[in-house]
This record gives sequence, structure tokens and C-alpha cells, in this order.
Amino acid sequence: MSIKRNLKIMYMLMKMKLQRNMAYRLSFFGVCFADGSLFLMQILMFSAIYSQVGSIGGWNKHQMLFFIGTFSLLNALNMALYFFGVISIPHKIKSGELDLYVTKPVNTLFHLSFENIDIGSVPLVFASIGIVIYAAAGMDTRVTVLTVIGYIFLILIMLVLYYDMEVILRTFPFFVIQSASIERFEEGLLSLCMRIPGILFKGAFKVLFYLVLPYGIMATIPTQFFSGILSPAGFIYSVAVVVVFTVFTIAFWKFGLKNYKSTGS
Amino acid sequence: MRKYIETVKILFKSQLAYRFDIIMNIVLTVSKMLLAYVLWSAVFETQDIVAGFTLNSMMSYYIISSFIAQLDQATGTGWRIAEDIRNGRFSKYIIKPMDIFGYFTAHTAGVSLFLLIFNLLAAILWVLIFGVELIMTNDVLMILQTVVLILLGLLFMVQLSYFIGILAFKVLDVTVFMLVKDNIAEFVKGSLIPLTLLSPAIIGVMKLFPFYYVTYLPTMLLLGRNGDEALQGIVILVLWIVLFRFINSFTFKRLRHRYDGVGI
Repeated sequence: MSIKRNLKIMYMLMKMKLQRNMAYRLSFFGVCFADGSLFLMQILMFSAIYSQVGSIGGWNKHQMLFFIGTFSLLNALNMALYFFGVISIPHKIKSGELDLYVTKPVNTLFHLSFENIDIGSVPLVFASIGIVIYAAAGMDTRVTVLTVIGYIFLILIMLVLYYDMEVILRTFPFFVIQSASIERFEEGLLSLCMRIPGILFKGAFKVLFYLVLPYGIMATIPTQFFSGILSPAGFIYSVAVVVVFTVFTIAFWKFGLKNYKSTGS
Repeated sequence: MRKYIETVKILFKSQLAYRFDIIMNIVLTVSKMLLAYVLWSAVFETQDIVAGFTLNSMMSYYIISSFIAQLDQATGTGWRIAEDIRNGRFSKYIIKPMDIFGYFTAHTAGVSLFLLIFNLLAAILWVLIFGVELIMTNDVLMILQTVVLILLGLLFMVQLSYFIGILAFKVLDVTVFMLVKDNIAEFVKGSLIPLTLLSPAIIGVMKLFPFYYVTYLPTMLLLGRNGDEALQGIVILVLWIVLFRFINSFTFKRLRHRYDGVGI
């Protein structure tokens, strides 16, 4: 399927979602308020800790702020683009609604993922960029065009990794009936990894959050790159993780789809 | 009073049907404990004392505060109220020969009481896993004051969630209010960090609001600190509870006529 066609479908899905959302005006920017308050509390938390100490794990206040801004940016882009589509997958598998998607001449996963684009999360994207720029201004790093391009590239691939993780966990309902615990498990891990940078993990936790469930690298690697402390090996490692997880996600999804038991259509 | 006690008993028993969910909830508090352990281990690498805490007393703080915070199940009650209003199922509470808020308080108390046992087990588990020498006061007066503060704090949190829940009469979807409340409350109750890390001016303002006394002060009292603030905490919580009693009953009276029941 061509990129042009996919973008056209995304645009149509976004238009339809926007029309539906306008019916609930208060909820329109709901995600923005909810997640905005979450990251604001995180900033306050680290401001309080940095009022007592100079650095945490070798990171100063501005690097930590940059990390928070980066995770907030990833989270906002996730919310705006595919989160609400992906989280609906388990319900559609269980209820048999998936029948409607597999019969359409559009890639099933693509349709499911992007049918609930949330424009209300876009202000949070700009707020996060604001935090990132403010934090970058306080850092000692010499910012070049290459730094910015590299950072954007890492954000984009981490967005793919974020998507991979969400889809993998929501493919399990093809095989198990009850998946609520898996989602709570993801929530617990995310709330941990969005609050502390991966550099603080050691030993088994490092293996867990850098390799098995790589939530720990999502905002840490872009922050390290921007700060100029990411080694070339670290850069290559992060790209490799994203490639491996994306290949696995596609294969796992296809395997799950083969196991889908339709509800009678 | 007997009907409320019966409600507590029923809810306590009904929780037995959701054993796996309850256990998962408690196991997932490990993320909070892990956060505290990883973060504060890194902080204490460069200094031994932070805001009067050692690493051991800091971990004790998180274990105790996590235990108290887990007792607060009011958010679930708020979601239930809002959902039942939205789906037209709230009528079943209106026709009950009980005060509606009283019913939901008993409802929450039943769940919290059930969780008390599991939370205690979880706290012991975290002490063993993280190798913490749990610091706890043996001053009976402080322990009694803590119990009173926890009960008042839980009651206030039920009132707050009830208030947000009944807003569904007007706005239907209260998700935003509920999520923002949860995010802010986690910080101002001292579940994320001990509030003593904040500047004295901010703490001064926080002391006028109830959240300071819901989790943070009881935790500090159990650690054997801030004993002089206990009475002030009880008085302020009582005042907020009285105020919210009026706010809730006023809001309920004003908004309930907007409700459309289903099947009546």
C-alpha cells in the first residue's frame, strides 16, 4: 500500500473522528488537561528533589527537565496519533467487531490504529516542545542542526517503539480472554519509566527496561543524544531495538490475526 | 447505622469475587516502590541525608505512605457514580432507604477494609524485598492520632470523589476531572515525594488544604515526626469535611433533577 494512500486514509479517519469529538466539547481537550497535569506534577517533583541535591545519576536539573519534556512529547504524539485506536483492539477482538475491519480493503492494523486520532492532544505536543526548548536553553550542550535532526530522528523511532509495545500487549487478547491485567501491567511500567530516566536502572532492571521491555530507553536515549553523552554504540543499539521490536510486532500481529475466532460472520 | 454496617459487610464479602484483580493491584504497587528505590538510591549516592531522611527512612516513608494511599479507594466510587448516572442506573441508589452519600461511604469502607489485609501483606513484602529496617514510632498517642487522621482523610477523599461523580448529572463525562484530581492529589498528598522537600512557603499554603493531612502527615506521624501538627490536622480535616458535606448536598439537590433514569 502506498504512503500517499495511507496518508489519505489517515486524513479521512481524522476528519471523521473530529466530527464525532465535536459532540463532546469538554472532553475534546480532556487528554491534554489530564496528561498535562501528570507531567506538571513530575516537573514539580524533580524541582523539589533538585532543591536538595545537585545531580541525580550524573544528570543535572535541566537534563532531567529535558527528559520529562521528551517523554511528555512522546506521550502526546502517542495520544494524538494512535493510542485511542490501539487501546480499542482488545474490545474489538473479544466482541467480534474486528470482523468489520478484516473485511475492509485497508490494512487492518493500520485502520484500527489510526481511526481514533485525537486532535485534543495536540496542544500537549506544543507544551512538551516548549519544555524541551526551555530545558535545552539551560543545558551546556552546543546545539547544531545535526543535533536537532538526530533528536527528531530518535523521537520518531521511539514513537514507533512506543507503538510496537502497545500493539504487542494488545495482541494477546487473540490468545487469552482476560487482558485487563496486561494493560494494568503496562500502565505500571510506563508510569515508572516516564518518571525516572533509564540511566538510573542497574543490573537486572537495566536488562529488563533496556532489552526485554524497552520503556527505559524511549526518552532516555534522545535526551542522552541531545546532551552529547550518547555513544555511537548506544545510538546503533537503540535503532536495532526498534527494528527488532517492529519486525516482531508485525509478525506477532499477523500470527494473532490468524488465530482470530470470528463471531459468526 | 445497621444498614450501613451491612453495606460494609456485603462489599467486604463481594471483594472476594475479585481476588485476582485485588492481588494484581497490590503487586503493581511494586512500580511505586521500585520508583522510590531506584530514584532515591541514586540521590543518596552523593549524600547521606536529604531533608532529614536517610535512604532507610526514605524507603520507610514510601512503604508506609503507599500502604495508606492504597486504602483510599474513593476514586473507584467516583467512577461508579458517574458511570451509573451516565447510563441511567443511578435510580437504584435513589430508591434505597438510605442516605446516598452514606451508602457510598459504606461502600468504599467495605472495599478499603478488605484491602487493609492485603496492603499489610504487601507492606511486609516490600520491607523484605527492599531490605528496609522499617522505622515506626511506638508512641501510642501518635498512633491513635494517625488512625483518626487516616479515617478523616479517607472520608474527605470519598466526599471529593462523590462530588466529582455527581457532576456527571451536568457534564456527563467526568473523566477529565477525575484524572486531573488523581494526578494532582498524588503529589499534594505526598505520595510522590515527602512534602518536606518543598519550600516552607509552599508547605504553609498546603497546610490550609486537606490533602496534606490525608497521607503525608499520617506517614510522618508513624515515622515519629511532626507530632505537633496532629491536632491542627484533625481540626482542618473536620472543617473541610463539614464544608464538603454542605457543598455535596447543595450540588446534589441542584443537579439531580437533570437525571434521566432508564427503565423507570
